[in-house]
Amino acid sequence: MIYIAILIIMGVLLLATAIFAVTHRDLLFAVIATGIISLILSLFFYLLQAPDVALTEAAIGIALTTIIFVITIRNTTRDEDEIIDKKNEKL
Amino acid sequence: MKKVLVILLLAALGYFLAQTFLEIPLGENRIGDINAQKPTAAGYYLSNTKEKSKVANVVTAIVVNYRGLDTLGEVTVLFLATTGVASILYRRKEEEEEVERLNLPSSNIIRTGARVLFPAITLLGIYVFIHGHLTPGGGFQGGTIVATGFLLMLISYKGFNTNHNIMTWVESIAGLSFVLIGLWGLITDHTFLGNIPQIGELNKLLSGGLIPIIYIAVGFKVAVELTGILDILLKIKPKK
Amino acid sequence: MNIIFTISFTLMAIGAILSLIRFVKGPRSGDRVVALDTMSIIITSALVLLAHVFDRYIYVDVALVYAVLGFVGVIVIARYIEGAL
Repeated sequence: MIYIAILIIMGVLLLATAIFAVTHRDLLFAVIATGIISLILSLFFYLLQAPDVALTEAAIGIALTTIIFVITIRNTTRDEDEIIDKKNEKL
Repeated sequence: MKKVLVILLLAALGYFLAQTFLEIPLGENRIGDINAQKPTAAGYYLSNTKEKSKVANVVTAIVVNYRGLDTLGEVTVLFLATTGVASILYRRKEEEEEVERLNLPSSNIIRTGARVLFPAITLLGIYVFIHGHLTPGGGFQGGTIVATGFLLMLISYKGFNTNHNIMTWVESIAGLSFVLIGLWGLITDHTFLGNIPQIGELNKLLSGGLIPIIYIAVGFKVAVELTGILDILLKIKPKK
Repeated sequence: MNIIFTISFTLMAIGAILSLIRFVKGPRSGDRVVALDTMSIIITSALVLLAHVFDRYIYVDVALVYAVLGFVGVIVIARYIEGAL
């Protein structure tokens, strides 16, 4: 009973964060949303009695995925539509 | 027009995927009877790992012992990725310019926290890959945790440098020892990556034959490779 | 024992939902980073309590990794916002 309730509530939270990560314009907030998605997904793997997979998702989702995306944002732009606007200007 | 076409294509893909997924019986027992005469593959692994391999963690036994050749392929893929990044982006220090990494010094909180946490994270990573056959975890997870510890020090301190020569030697020796252990299995057991006869008992640190030694080599290799990649990526200058 | 678990998980779920509301609504990036850190701590404690419910104590290793590495994720984003990564 507790099991099903946790699954449903965390499932709704996961869906809301995923929609926010895909549709928002500022790229840094999408990176933070990816971190939260990895957190909730690790809890799901744990509830399905797979501690090896949960530990792997925890070890890579917190720091390594975030740092690689942040380095990419630092070297290009932080705003998503700036590149598209520049291309349209040239055409 | 293009958007309508894409939505139609996705709807067709979703329909066929849903047809496949609805045939899976959810929540029923698909492993079958473990002690039957002809068990399924999962049933065979679950019932025979305790006596034959004497390893408490079945996932580790499958990854290293039963399917060890695939692990060798994964280690090769990581090695190729590191070589690719290093060959494109690595620049040695020339005489005049200094490849600098940080612009501002960090505050006292970050410096103190990093200095206190770095030994703890390294110890946790080494614990995870040494006890890979007893607790959840293993070589790849432990190596990633150690690389995160090095990342914390690289961000907080300006003068913290990693020596690329030592890292190259450690990575090469770890990768070579994996292949040499496999060839040793060819001599004693007539199969590549065969296991030696067991000395210890179940649930002790010394059980499992060659399985902990392979995971220790993989743990060192992954930690050193990921630290090298992060060190190279942090030194790229953004062009503004 | 069942009532204690139900009350604990209800409180944790309320905490997680409030954190997510702050993550979606916050106007600046500091609000969202604090929401990430709060959710990390709540889910770490939920993992330890679930290890007691499932009655297997080797599951606590997962919560140990989260508790130690949660700091590093926050520091990475904070150094980028400061401009010094």
